[in-house]
Amino acid sequence: MLLRETMSQAIYSLTMNKLRSWLTIMGVAVGVFSIIAVMTALDAIDKSIESGLTSLGANTFQIQKNPATTFGSGHSRNLYANRKDITWQQALLFRKSMESKSRNIGFMISSMANQAKYANLTTNPDVTITGGDENFSASSGYIVAFGRNLAEPDIRYSRNTVVLGSEVAATLFPSGENPQNKSLKINGEVYTIAGVFNKKGAAFGQSQDNFVLIPITRYLNHINEKSSLSITVEALSRKDYPQAIDRAIGAMRLARGLTVKDTNDFEIRTNESLIDSFREIQRAIGTGAFIISFMALLTAGVGIMNIMLVSVTERTREIGIRKSVGAPKGIILRQFLLESLFLSLVGGVIGTIIGTAIGNVVALKFNLPLLFPWLWITVSMVVCSAIGVSFGLFPAWKAANLNPVEALRPK
Amino acid sequence: MQSLCKFYEMGDQTVRALDSINLEFGQNDYTAIMGPSGSGKSTLMNILGCLDTPTSGLYELNGQSVAEMDDDELARIRNKEIGFVFQTFNLLPRLNCLRNVELPLIYAGVAPEEREERAAKALVNVGLGDRIKHKPSELSGGQIQRVAIARALINNPSIILADEPTGNLDTATSHDIMNIFGALSEAGNTIILITHEEDIAHYTRRIIRLRDGKIESDERR
Repeated sequence: MLLRETMSQAIYSLTMNKLRSWLTIMGVAVGVFSIIAVMTALDAIDKSIESGLTSLGANTFQIQKNPATTFGSGHSRNLYANRKDITWQQALLFRKSMESKSRNIGFMISSMANQAKYANLTTNPDVTITGGDENFSASSGYIVAFGRNLAEPDIRYSRNTVVLGSEVAATLFPSGENPQNKSLKINGEVYTIAGVFNKKGAAFGQSQDNFVLIPITRYLNHINEKSSLSITVEALSRKDYPQAIDRAIGAMRLARGLTVKDTNDFEIRTNESLIDSFREIQRAIGTGAFIISFMALLTAGVGIMNIMLVSVTERTREIGIRKSVGAPKGIILRQFLLESLFLSLVGGVIGTIIGTAIGNVVALKFNLPLLFPWLWITVSMVVCSAIGVSFGLFPAWKAANLNPVEALRPK
Repeated sequence: MQSLCKFYEMGDQTVRALDSINLEFGQNDYTAIMGPSGSGKSTLMNILGCLDTPTSGLYELNGQSVAEMDDDELARIRNKEIGFVFQTFNLLPRLNCLRNVELPLIYAGVAPEEREERAAKALVNVGLGDRIKHKPSELSGGQIQRVAIARALINNPSIILADEPTGNLDTATSHDIMNIFGALSEAGNTIILITHEEDIAHYTRRIIRLRDGKIESDERR
């Protein structure tokens, strides 16, 4: 019964010093905001890692020069930088030794920042040209929407055929006209459109549809930018997957001409390894953000304590009056504790609302699903309450133990 | 109270603020405690009001020994048995008259509706029925002191303790306030007031004079 009175008195006291209360609340809000915003964004990214990174087909793995992300010391980064590109010759050697033990061996090579042109329409100069073969679409999870995929003869004769990513198709054929067998120009060279892929969507804010696929043989002869090839391999079955990877490593070592003493100078990427490496980054960011936010909350706690101490000093007389009319220690303690608790919880709520909003705006920007980070909201509220109580305890204790005679003495 | 003492340590000196005081106040006593500054009258008032505890000696209030009580028991006694009227009024400036008067009832655990009703009635009784929603800053000194009296009376205390209640008021208002105390005494209340003004003291029926922590005289009229 007394709780309600104490509460309304606490709130009333806080409204008496609006600016001061708000400033203190903002301190807490900023701390909570940073935790919630970062954690919301990270959670959203986490949700999309599964969907975004399972871009390889089932039972498929990829061999590349470098890992998906390099995360570590300069030493390991130098190690990757010195690796030699995977060449066409090596890729063919690899295929020869792997052909009977797996299927759909595909090659891929990409060049970023190109421009495609049809009639008087031009794309932005950010189109990726991918050199691939007939297996590219299956191993990368693209489905032909209409027209046809690249076929084996396209590769063999290094034909100037092209399959468009859905975004490129939408830019160059906005009226819905059938692009099949139309001619377009990529970097000044003429290609005939064989088909268009289905939309795959974005991963990490990166469109996966802003590309064109040409035969890899043509790519190697006509595109100047030479980079390392990547090879996709599909295991014969789920059961065979681990052995397929082992065999692929062996075949690749052979193709790269490695001796027994050399370590692998290439990486095997599986859906799992991609996810793992992103999780590693995510964890590091999360830990860092959490520590920084925690520091911010600690500072906010000190701010609360400071304000409450000032408040106790200012209201010494009020405390004396309350005590003289019979307020017991516990009630005075509770009143001041409630004030600090209220400050930190209001800060917590504001921080949570803004944090969730911003976190979700980030999520939207990256085309990630919206979410409400219950776990982190709970954590923040608990932490806020703990801060309110622990940092408010000393000032409240001080107020409760004021000597009424001293407190009432006119200054 | 018997052989009541209160000592303060001031540096290496011991100040005997109250030195073996023996006093008894009966029901419906109307007493003035007088004395020059430093005579110990404020200390006596603080102990009578259970704001402070004696260094030694016995103080019984309605048969309860107060000297041994802890802070929360003292708070409860102040709430139920004592009504304070201060020279500096000591109202909470941010609360209106009604909220100020009902404050002791909050700590007594009285329900909100009953609180408001009783506080409003108490304000009517001191002639401030039309000032219920005013804040202390909107009232004159005499009116403020009447609010304080209403607050002191709200919980039907055993003793009303008034510490220089007219010290901050002009003569005419002082006499108004003393008339209120007179009426309260007529109604059966026990009143102890501290003053250094002879004419104020002469409203009462008993005058106790203190000097250097000892009783100089105790006369009833």
